[in-house]
Amino acid sequence: MRRGTFWSWLWIALGVIYFFVPLVGSFTFSLHAKLGVLSFKAYSDVLQDPNFRINFFASVAWALSTIVIGVLLFVPTAYWVRLKLPRVRPLVEFITLLPFVVPAIVLVYGLVRTFSRPPLMIVNSPFLLIFGYTIMSMPYMYRAVDTGLRAVDVPVLTEAAQSLGAGWVTIMLRVVFPNIRVAVLSGSFLTFAIVMGEYTLAQWLAKPAFGPYMALVALTKAYEPSACAIISFALTWAAMGIMQFVGRGAPGGAQVAGAH
Amino acid sequence: MPFFVFILFFLVYPSSTLVIGSFQDEAGHFTFANILGLSDPYILGAYEVSIRISVYSAVGGAIFGFLLAYAAVRGGLPSFVRSSMMTFCGVASNFAGIPLAFAFLATVGRMGIVTEVLSSIGLNPYDAGFSLYSVLGLSLVYMYFQFPLMVLIIAPAIDGLRQEWREAAENLGGSFLDYWRRVALPILTPSILGTTILLFGNAFGAYATAFVLTGGAISLVTLRIGDQLGGDVGNMSQGVGYAMALGMLVIMAISVAGYTILQRQSERWLK
Amino acid sequence: MSTKKMVWAVMALAIVLAACAPAATAVAPIVQTVAPIVETVVVPATAGPAPTASPMDALVAACKQEGQVTIIAAPRDWADYGTIIDTFGSRYGVVVSDLNPAGTSADELNAIKANEGNKGPQAPDIMDVGYSYGPLGQSQGLYQPYKVAGWNDIAIKDPDGYWWEEYVGVMTFEVNTKIVKDVPQDWSDLLKPEYKGEVAISGDPKGSNQAIMAVWAAALANGGSLDNAQPGLDFWAKVNKAGNFVPVIGNLSTVTQGATPILMRWDYNALGDRDTAAGNPPIAVVVPKSATIEGPYVGAISAYAPHPNCAKLYEEFIMGDEGQTDFLRGYAHPARFASMVSRGVIAADVLSAIPSAAAYSVAVIPTLDQIAAANKVITTGWDKAVGANVK
Repeated sequence: MRRGTFWSWLWIALGVIYFFVPLVGSFTFSLHAKLGVLSFKAYSDVLQDPNFRINFFASVAWALSTIVIGVLLFVPTAYWVRLKLPRVRPLVEFITLLPFVVPAIVLVYGLVRTFSRPPLMIVNSPFLLIFGYTIMSMPYMYRAVDTGLRAVDVPVLTEAAQSLGAGWVTIMLRVVFPNIRVAVLSGSFLTFAIVMGEYTLAQWLAKPAFGPYMALVALTKAYEPSACAIISFALTWAAMGIMQFVGRGAPGGAQVAGAH
Repeated sequence: MPFFVFILFFLVYPSSTLVIGSFQDEAGHFTFANILGLSDPYILGAYEVSIRISVYSAVGGAIFGFLLAYAAVRGGLPSFVRSSMMTFCGVASNFAGIPLAFAFLATVGRMGIVTEVLSSIGLNPYDAGFSLYSVLGLSLVYMYFQFPLMVLIIAPAIDGLRQEWREAAENLGGSFLDYWRRVALPILTPSILGTTILLFGNAFGAYATAFVLTGGAISLVTLRIGDQLGGDVGNMSQGVGYAMALGMLVIMAISVAGYTILQRQSERWLK
Repeated sequence: MSTKKMVWAVMALAIVLAACAPAATAVAPIVQTVAPIVETVVVPATAGPAPTASPMDALVAACKQEGQVTIIAAPRDWADYGTIIDTFGSRYGVVVSDLNPAGTSADELNAIKANEGNKGPQAPDIMDVGYSYGPLGQSQGLYQPYKVAGWNDIAIKDPDGYWWEEYVGVMTFEVNTKIVKDVPQDWSDLLKPEYKGEVAISGDPKGSNQAIMAVWAAALANGGSLDNAQPGLDFWAKVNKAGNFVPVIGNLSTVTQGATPILMRWDYNALGDRDTAAGNPPIAVVVPKSATIEGPYVGAISAYAPHPNCAKLYEEFIMGDEGQTDFLRGYAHPARFASMVSRGVIAADVLSAIPSAAAYSVAVIPTLDQIAAANKVITTGWDKAVGANVK
């Protein structure tokens, strides 16, 4: 594998350059907040702004909630489709990719109109925002879960579990979930990032969130916007690292349980 | 089953305004005029540019993303590379809009740090006609979220390449290239192609980044839709905006269908 | 392993529940917290706007009952809106929530439409839109009429009271003098080769009022007139051809970083940016010598306003002497400027801080019909003039 390793490092290095240089560009700029001196003034301005904390952690809350609801909604569905309704699968897959197509502004416009009058008057509830985010993250979350399930022989596992006397709940919790943990994690990363950066839904539904906050900062400040972007990048990355750590089980990529 | 209820309420019903609106004129009456209006060269031009940028960034994103993913997953590198790349890609895949545009401006814009470094050694890219505000420039910027998306989606597929297959190929006397040509690529191709289509859709729907960088100077479908839905009415009607969105939906639907077909092909292999 | 997942899920749920509680009570959605007054008010010590006694008191009482009001697309740094909002909120004990501060005038109209039956904080009460959006919103039935106390002092308004001018600014060049050593003084300067890739507009002329006015102002200096905006498009096409035009949407960040060191901005925004930057970078605000345009912003109350009384009270406030002076402190010319000056109610230090009136002598103000016509010309013609025809 030694020849392979050289090439691997090369591609990684190129990737690192491409990804980090623009970040460095932003970062360098943000250090000029104090005239003539390189300083972290822009960063302290941002971090000391109470609105930063409020909006950032609000978005974190939305993101985690979206992940939970997404998992609860999509995993059983994907499992069921795989197991019992294979013919419905193309339709379901198509549906799950639809959010890609609907622009956020159209979605939120529709959501506001639909849910701002009785009997479904939930426009003020944070749940509307969370549900909207769940829809937006559906392509990624569902796809990730589905990929994970695909690598696992679902019918065999289910039969085995059932023959051991397991009920549905047990199957879900103790058979399905552990095997698709990596996939769920991957979907969760994407969902987390999406929600953290999302602007349109939060703006129109008038909920505190990080996306609108960043847009506001960018409107009237010089150095703080790039500081904000760098901070959010770093914090989101860190949050994902934590998620990965928490969700990690036995190391190794083998996804098939048992038979190998 | 709750799935379908959920979808109905939160996706289908609100999106129906889009479909219905594209068939309505100013007064709300049914009309095909908006759809026919799509044949306006101005609008068709927007579709063409959008498709071009999406294709460039999708293909570029797929190729380099694949190389990155392969290097991280199977390239024999320490495991921290893989996990940090995955998390990084998670963040980067959504780094778009104003922060991304600004980052690129600060780097390869006229006063960007890379531009300045290159100029000091006499290689000012702008003199050679480089422009960030062009189709190629935008594609370059789009790659920032295309590469990571590719990596994240294709990594599990690469993971699925069983080590045994590689060993089997070698046992049968095949070289590294043979393994690739006969075993790995045929298996991975549907996934790669499928994900490329997904990247295409991703780029096609992008809005904020292009808006900030070009102020609408480059004609993209999403920008044009934004003009109609959010800009000064009096240019064209809102119905046309919806019709454009419907056109977008059709294009995306086709690409999604293509992706689905290819995916099903690939999973036959992975089974 | 599954227990770990359970723990994780439970933790997340706990956070969700914790988040729901404050989110339900936090009514101010974006960022703005209403702080106690920090600024001392120079002008009349009287507590409120116009003199009439009982209608105003009734309005105040009704507003206090409503308890909150929603304004839209009003960034705090735009003509000192921050101070105005804070003052109003704390004086009347009302929560002011600022919806979509980064929004455009068109966003404001859309927000009214989308929230027709909604009484929640997503529905805006108070509008502040570009001149042409006054009659536009009125024609779409989105406003309700109201005449503030100082109605007669206002020059530009709808006779039935659906909208009225709040303040006005002129189009200027905002220049980063650290990067641009030789500051352009007029439109023709913008064509000079030394400004290659440096000139930008702070919006998209297909939708942003500020950007449209930038094009129109150029028209005035290049053979156009208030009735003919086409030369503006031709001018910008020339700037683009010369390679001087940069399509990036400009703001203070891009001016500072150098991507758009010469930016077309309303004077109050440019001056506000200059103050925010405080020398880092140094910013010069130049009124173009030959001609420029005045762009009034008009206020209105949403026809579906959930809190109409607070909205009316708010309009009384900002159109009263005190509110109008606050605008002046934000460098914007209030609508009732002439009357206030003649009555001598503006403090000397405020008057001296604003740029001299002489600089504004080249500015002209269009009528509504001219605006409608120019909008049409500019929004449809922009792409053909400047649209990047690439590769």
